[in-house]
Amino acid sequence: MFRRSWRHVATAAAALLAAASLVACSDDSADSQDLSENRVGAMENYAIGSQFKATEPVSFSVLYNNHPNYPLKNDWLFWSELKSRTNVTLEPVAVPLSDYNQKRSLLIGAGDAPLLIPKTYPPDVHAYVSSGAILPVSDYLDLMPNLKDKIEKWNLKPEMDTLRQQDGKFYLLPGLHEKPWHDYSLAVRTDILEELNLAVPKTWDELYTVLKAMKAAYPDVYPFSDRWSQPNPAGNLLNLLAVSYGLEGAGWNFQHVSWNAGTQKFEYTGATEQYKQLLQYLNKLVAEKLLDPESFTQTDDAARQKLANSKSFVIGANAQAVVNDYRPDLAATNPKAKIAKIPLPIGPAGEINPASRLENGMMISSKARDSKNFVAMMQFVDWLWYSDAGQEFARWGVEGTTFVKDAAGKATLAADVDMIGLNPGAPKHLQKDFGFANGVFAYGGKPELVQAFFSPEEQEFQQVMNARTPKSPPPPFPLSDEEREQVSLWETPLKDHVYQATLQFALGQRDFGQWDAYVNELKSKNMDAYLDTVNKAYERYRDEHN
Amino acid sequence: MVSVEAARPAETAPRPGRRRGIQQTRGYRVFQVVNAVILTIVVVVTLYPFVNIVARSMSHEAYIIAGQVNLVPRGFTLDTYRLVLSDSLFWTNYRNTVVYTVTATVISIVMTTCYAYVLSKKQLKGRGVLVGIAVFTMFFSGGLIPNYVLVTSLGLKNSVWAIALPNAINVFNLLVMKAFFESLPGELEEAGAVDGLSTYGILWRIVLPLSKAIVATMVLFYAVAFWNSWFAAFLYLDRQELWPVTVYLRNLIAGATGAENVGAIAEANEVQAEATLKAVTIVLTTLPILLVYPFVQRYFVRGIMLGAVKG
Repeated sequence: MFRRSWRHVATAAAALLAAASLVACSDDSADSQDLSENRVGAMENYAIGSQFKATEPVSFSVLYNNHPNYPLKNDWLFWSELKSRTNVTLEPVAVPLSDYNQKRSLLIGAGDAPLLIPKTYPPDVHAYVSSGAILPVSDYLDLMPNLKDKIEKWNLKPEMDTLRQQDGKFYLLPGLHEKPWHDYSLAVRTDILEELNLAVPKTWDELYTVLKAMKAAYPDVYPFSDRWSQPNPAGNLLNLLAVSYGLEGAGWNFQHVSWNAGTQKFEYTGATEQYKQLLQYLNKLVAEKLLDPESFTQTDDAARQKLANSKSFVIGANAQAVVNDYRPDLAATNPKAKIAKIPLPIGPAGEINPASRLENGMMISSKARDSKNFVAMMQFVDWLWYSDAGQEFARWGVEGTTFVKDAAGKATLAADVDMIGLNPGAPKHLQKDFGFANGVFAYGGKPELVQAFFSPEEQEFQQVMNARTPKSPPPPFPLSDEEREQVSLWETPLKDHVYQATLQFALGQRDFGQWDAYVNELKSKNMDAYLDTVNKAYERYRDEHN
Repeated sequence: MVSVEAARPAETAPRPGRRRGIQQTRGYRVFQVVNAVILTIVVVVTLYPFVNIVARSMSHEAYIIAGQVNLVPRGFTLDTYRLVLSDSLFWTNYRNTVVYTVTATVISIVMTTCYAYVLSKKQLKGRGVLVGIAVFTMFFSGGLIPNYVLVTSLGLKNSVWAIALPNAINVFNLLVMKAFFESLPGELEEAGAVDGLSTYGILWRIVLPLSKAIVATMVLFYAVAFWNSWFAAFLYLDRQELWPVTVYLRNLIAGATGAENVGAIAEANEVQAEATLKAVTIVLTTLPILLVYPFVQRYFVRGIMLGAVKG
């Protein structure tokens, strides 16, 4: 009897599961061109430069990434001013920033997602495309004149192409930057440079000389001890080196394939000649005791501790880490110490700026397509996220209240409004009290806008980086669902092996004479099949869409 | 309670006399010294991390990063406490945690007790199936999305019931409690029945008074679990004023470590010292449980042991 009932339970459970998965995957595609039923609230003559205002009050649900530094408030000027300018009410579904991605997956999977899903990074989109829950926004670009204009004016077409899926469409409205914005580099103790009469290193080779000079003066220290090694060993350092050597990325931005413009083919990043060279460079640093071998495994706190106690002088950095971590740390232990972020050292790839001009952006639920307000919603999105006026509003707020403009049109904060300490002691805060400069609504745009709240030091860094050539994005190679599934089975063993060998070569546990053996090991882990799939997808896309 | 108390004198009565005799011998004194030393070491080892956390929570970030904080705070500051405690959302969320914990614990105790008591009756028909249904959920679950769809379509979203109901019965706790009830002599209940008590009367007047130990243990288990839980709240609550304090603090730490403001500089008064923040979080969330623990503890060992021996 027990066994029979057991089976009943199992059957019931299976039936429940099946029902649940049916609910999750309801899918219907409306004809994408006929929008006559969906124009309620939309403007007839919406174009570049026009202020979007819905012809009747409308509201859209939006997934809201709740930042603890400026928790969501319903009385923000942002909401009321948005309502009066556009006649749109946004209904936020608040999700803690700590676990935003998980909740997003859950809501999309359960068919319960809000209409607007912002703060999504380009690679995250793949997972949702085949479910049909996400709108192929590329079909509706005609509703978004500002977006189209910016793509054209800023030559963003190659970047946008990298977003395309196998059907040739893209499903994400990314944040667009006119200029690439690169943040990560190395921070160097400038007082030590002065003391030893050294110049700030411009290239990786100069960095080597500088480290050697530091080692000569301080034989007991490892001059370079890096952080950001968990969970990926030397996550930041490997990536900086990889892009400087002309590869797509490594470390925490692990890219299996890199584009070779010479052969017009993708190569396996971890097996390229450049990757070998960068490992040889690292190996040289380790062998001469210039780079702390623990750099590859230690925690961030351990690396910071070494820097604070002058056990190291060079460390991976971004603008925030320098100001929030390193300077306060050093101020407590060594008030004379000075540290600054240096422009990304130049490698064999030349003076490039490796940052992408696309940022996280917005997905739209497919169910929005059936709404009678669909056209109004797309116009609204275009205005708030892509028009000059909308971007200025989201970042700076309301002229005369939160900011003022001088004759040249340069914006500054109003005297009683603070933001990142620009008006210390001001009673109000741009983010906390008004809801502007909010990461959900304000990103991308012209450099003036992006760098509005950067420190002079960081603006200087950006000037150097902006003078360099932006790295051209690789051509798109959208994979089909089956290919993606197959490829993802190969990825983990390949990646693990590259990591393992990276550490062995860099730390000198494996001789570079064994490089060919290592490449063969990768081949035995389906590297060639992987490349074959990617290159075929690239050719297929090229032939179909060019 | 009466019978439990009655059983104890029989165990402990002969001891005082014997102990006085042994105390004279030298070996026993050596043993006592060694014992005291070992126990002191155990106390230090278990207490040190906690004192360290408290010290960190009141120290300046730089000293923590430099690895200089041990038992005493260095660069004493209460700024992080002030920052966390001055936020009205923190208090709203703290109140939510208390409400959720109390509600969910009460529901869980009632449900678990009723289920376990029924399962402890050997004469119950289909007992194996009922146990099987419970045990099945220990090894298989519907998965995240089906659970979410179920809870949402039952209309529980954005209410305390989404936290309390889906997790009301913990199967491990259920089995421990069942084993405990099985160990109670059936004759007591029979006697109650002869004297005219109904089934619920027997449970309420005879079984539960004898089960204070296990109920207290279960209250502790459930309360700690609900106090610490954040995942259900994160899944089912869409408004920040409904979140428990665990979600609030988790988010706060993520905000302090995250790279949202890259390129911008955080305000000096707001450099949320990440290391300090973690310590403050731990202190604030564990404090209430720590305060409750000593009062429940005397039941705790007895409760779980009684179930374990039989189970």
